[in-house]
Amino acid sequence: MTSVTAEGLKVGAPRASRQHGWWRRNWVSIAFIAPGIIWLLAIVVYPTIATVRFSFYNESATKFVGLHNFASVFSTDTILTAFKNNVVWVLIFPFFVTFIGLMVAVLTERIRWATAFKAIIVMPIVFSTTASALVWRTIFDLDPHVGVVNAIEQTVSDWFSTPGAYPLNSAIGQTAVSLASFNTTGAPGGALASKSAVQPGGTVMMGLTRISSATLQTLGAKTPVAPQTIAGGIAGVVWNDFSPSQTSNTTTIVSDEHGLPNLRLSLVNSTGSSVASTVTNSSGDFSFSHVAPGSYHVEVPASNFQTSFVGTFWLGSQSITPASGLNQTAQSLLSVPLIDLAMIISYIWIWAGFAMVLIGAGLAALNREVLEAAEIDGATEWQTLRRVTIPMLAPVLTVVFVTMVINVLKVFDIILNMAPGSSQGPATTLALSIYNDGFTGGIHSGVASAIAVILFLLVVPVMFWNLRKLKGGSA
Amino acid sequence: MTIDAPVKENRVGGLAKRLHLSKAVVNVILALVAIFWLVPTISLLVISLRPESLFGVSGWWKVFTDPSQLTFGNYSTIFSQGFATGGVLDSLLTSLEITIPATLLVTMISCLAAYSLVFGSWRGRDMIFFGIVGLMVVPLQVALIPVVQLYREMGNLFGLNPYGTIPGVIIFHVAFGLPFGIFLMRNFLTGIPRDLLEAGRIEGAGEWKIFYRIVLPLALPAIASLAIFQFIWVWNDLLVALVFLGGNVHSPLTIFLYDQTRSLAANYWIVSTGAVVSIFVPLIVFFSFQRYFVRGVLAGAVK
Amino acid sequence: MSSVTLRELTKQYAGNAALSLDAVNLDVAHGEFVCLVGPSGCGKTTALRMIAGLESVTSGDIEIGDRVVNDLSPRDRDIALVFQSYALYPHMTVFDNMSFGLKLRKVPKDEIKAAVTDAARILDLELYLDRKPAQLSGGQRQRVALGRAIVRNPAAFLMDEPLSNLDAKLRVQTRAEIARLHHRLGATMIYVTHDQVEAMTMADRIAVINLGKLEQVGSPRELYDRPANQFVAGFIGSPSMNFVPMHVESIDGGIRVVSAGGDMDVILDDVESAIIRSAGVSDVVLGVRPEHIDSQPRSGRGLQLRASVEVIEFLGNDEHVHLSSGSHELVAIVDARTPLTIGDSVTLSASIEAIHLFHPETGVTLK
Repeated sequence: MTSVTAEGLKVGAPRASRQHGWWRRNWVSIAFIAPGIIWLLAIVVYPTIATVRFSFYNESATKFVGLHNFASVFSTDTILTAFKNNVVWVLIFPFFVTFIGLMVAVLTERIRWATAFKAIIVMPIVFSTTASALVWRTIFDLDPHVGVVNAIEQTVSDWFSTPGAYPLNSAIGQTAVSLASFNTTGAPGGALASKSAVQPGGTVMMGLTRISSATLQTLGAKTPVAPQTIAGGIAGVVWNDFSPSQTSNTTTIVSDEHGLPNLRLSLVNSTGSSVASTVTNSSGDFSFSHVAPGSYHVEVPASNFQTSFVGTFWLGSQSITPASGLNQTAQSLLSVPLIDLAMIISYIWIWAGFAMVLIGAGLAALNREVLEAAEIDGATEWQTLRRVTIPMLAPVLTVVFVTMVINVLKVFDIILNMAPGSSQGPATTLALSIYNDGFTGGIHSGVASAIAVILFLLVVPVMFWNLRKLKGGSA
Repeated sequence: MTIDAPVKENRVGGLAKRLHLSKAVVNVILALVAIFWLVPTISLLVISLRPESLFGVSGWWKVFTDPSQLTFGNYSTIFSQGFATGGVLDSLLTSLEITIPATLLVTMISCLAAYSLVFGSWRGRDMIFFGIVGLMVVPLQVALIPVVQLYREMGNLFGLNPYGTIPGVIIFHVAFGLPFGIFLMRNFLTGIPRDLLEAGRIEGAGEWKIFYRIVLPLALPAIASLAIFQFIWVWNDLLVALVFLGGNVHSPLTIFLYDQTRSLAANYWIVSTGAVVSIFVPLIVFFSFQRYFVRGVLAGAVK
Repeated sequence: MSSVTLRELTKQYAGNAALSLDAVNLDVAHGEFVCLVGPSGCGKTTALRMIAGLESVTSGDIEIGDRVVNDLSPRDRDIALVFQSYALYPHMTVFDNMSFGLKLRKVPKDEIKAAVTDAARILDLELYLDRKPAQLSGGQRQRVALGRAIVRNPAAFLMDEPLSNLDAKLRVQTRAEIARLHHRLGATMIYVTHDQVEAMTMADRIAVINLGKLEQVGSPRELYDRPANQFVAGFIGSPSMNFVPMHVESIDGGIRVVSAGGDMDVILDDVESAIIRSAGVSDVVLGVRPEHIDSQPRSGRGLQLRASVEVIEFLGNDEHVHLSSGSHELVAIVDARTPLTIGDSVTLSASIEAIHLFHPETGVTLK
């Protein structure tokens, strides 16, 4: 060590020269890292500490209030709702995204157009959540002329129960009886029937009312005429008993009234069983021929008034769990608004590509020989997947899962953009609450900071776990 | 593939065989999945290409039976408005004004910092790195309020208040892009053999020359991944812009869309065309640099 | 071209009690080819990197020419280093790789071109100047690495195991090529290798390093014939020297060394006996190179051993015979025509000139 030459070369006190040497050797490195460090200290580190401080101060950050903000977080229904929604998201979303990602990643390995397929699935990640939320808002729209989901629901429901020619407007609580006018009365099962009995050779006139002119126009309704008797049969007319020119006339046919076409009618005997059926023509006329003697009523079965499908209000806040009758706080904690599901579906659409890419990379990195060994050992594809592939993928799957948990703890944009005004409150989350409490109507730091601190505390353990996992995986 | 030779020796063989999917079935399933995944994007595109008068009257899917509904009318309206304040194109410009500097800054600062962390010889490099990685856990929501106040302080002290300005948004985005950026770049740079730097040093290259003549060219793939990732992240941000740009007449596309849907009379033609414009840029970036983006996603599994 | 001198050169890494390099003194003359050899981790690469300026000096001095370069950055030392991994810049063409250093020194373009073309001609790389390293074979990459050094015309060439990534055949070829290059350029070269064959075939002088210490410096022949200690003796030569612990016995005024079971013994002459006696040891380590073992019984002084044949490795002209003598294993190289079969009991010998004796504790050569 005590080499005379070496000491002789150095000028000044050894300590100072070492210090000087350190700067000379490292100043470039320090200059390189300085901008990053300064930036992070100012905009990440300091604000995080400040937020923790703010969470113990009042809304204008002027007075220390201890745990008061945290107390109000846990006693405010809107914030409890936010907690509940975050829980719903965490329980449903990460699992399904990981599962779908896995399935798709595994299946993709067997198709030739994998590249195109992957591009299609990954594409939504690059869209802003704002744009995606708007798209999905349209897709889930209540109006079947806008929302494709309700359009499909409508088509399917129409297959199973064909709507009648005169659908009731259930939205305003319309019933068949409310349509009854001249010589017409309600019958069991939402049907209508003629009031007066009729014998063969007689005629029946049935007046209905409140049939919209649009309906009449689509059906091509013509002016009704009074029925002519037929021997051994029953003739009649069903008409819309409303004349714009003689609004008070409710007993006779007026020239500007309309017959009701396409009504299915049945002839009911005195014991209440249907003996014949017919359909009215374009001016509302009908007839039953060869009727056995006896006393009959003409019935308009309920199927004529079958409502068409009204659609599901996917973006609404109606709960899919039984929560009615509970008090406000219990509802905040227990009701799951339908829109949560709609948003989760949309969010899966956005993020499944992420899961697929990660899991796909994990699959590609698997030791093929192990899979081949399983095959040699006689495992079927399914067994290989379940017993070999998935266990080997476990680290990747957990990383995906946990990343998605973190992601939905912070979920924000999709709610702000997808939930209509009426559903914003029931669909809110912690991140949205921070924004709403902290930034709408001036800056309020107290409660918003407390929520931020809670969010931070929820994210940190998960995140550290993930980082450790990732570090272990890459090493 | 469904019913094959008897597999009696395998007790679960029956079940397994049933679950064993043939290639055709897989193709059909994935085709359906692909269609499902495409529907939202296509619907957005179609809605933007149909006259607004048809919205709510008939479903967008009617276009497949009546292609004459397609029109570029909405787009020509947008373009005829030009860059007027509050229009779609103005927002497009604002989005670019925020995203490009934020991306460049994050990329540059991350590269410099990562270089220093990997190839520097100062002590405590690992600790600083772990500290920076640790910052990835901080949800940006945590920093919003103090940064708004910090900006105000800056206004009081230097007369420059970034709140409500585009630089204010950029500063915040850069800060929250850095931990990931440094993480990604550092991981990549550790893979560059030190021999290369030493070879450069011996041949007479100084630290800066080594950085930009040897390390940067080699790190290009990682830089591309980071830049694309950051670009898309900032481009798609709504929250930061909402908080820090509040009240600015120029708003990025995300705020533009948000405002349009929030307004009482939502103009669907402008929402849908605006949304198409907003996804157009990241889509181009994505399809041009898919490989790098995917790599960024893989590296950014923690974001 | 310049000389390179190491004076008491010492390296200690932070947090490491042991010295990685312990007061090494070495003079490499102008134009000399010196190999640093030793087992991996012995400090030879550390020494080279200190000369290059890639590692700081804990104490001692490095001189290149007549300058002390301890505190100079690598670029100011005027040296070239060929890395074990070649360290070619993957994003640059062969031409750019070779010209990078000159460009940094702002050498005029035409001079760069001339220098690179010249080096490419010497190394047979003319056709590959536009290629990237990834498009080259291992041997070609190695030549580019050499070329990058040549182009600079440095004061000294430093090479860190430049052949270790080549296959056996190419290694032999390139060995000759480097030797020829050295001859042609007359350059000062310091070459690090763990392969003593490389050192023996190329070096003017060899420096053997072990555990941070310089064990011996000398020409290949000196090291082979007169190793300074047991480590050098064992390191130089292939297959390595046989070592057998022996006991010293006095007989009729002379000295005899004999192995534990008595299967081996050496009769020393007076001069050697005197040396052993003055060393005052009762045990010694006998060293004898496999190629010096004779398949005949002893005539006169020297070593005689009785052994049984365990394994015979036929190599064409000769055979490596693995022997078991008492509890000791030895290897002997004998003429391939020697009639031997496994299990044979044989009596072999070695002349007194071929016998080395080492101190049992210090390993220092006694004879």
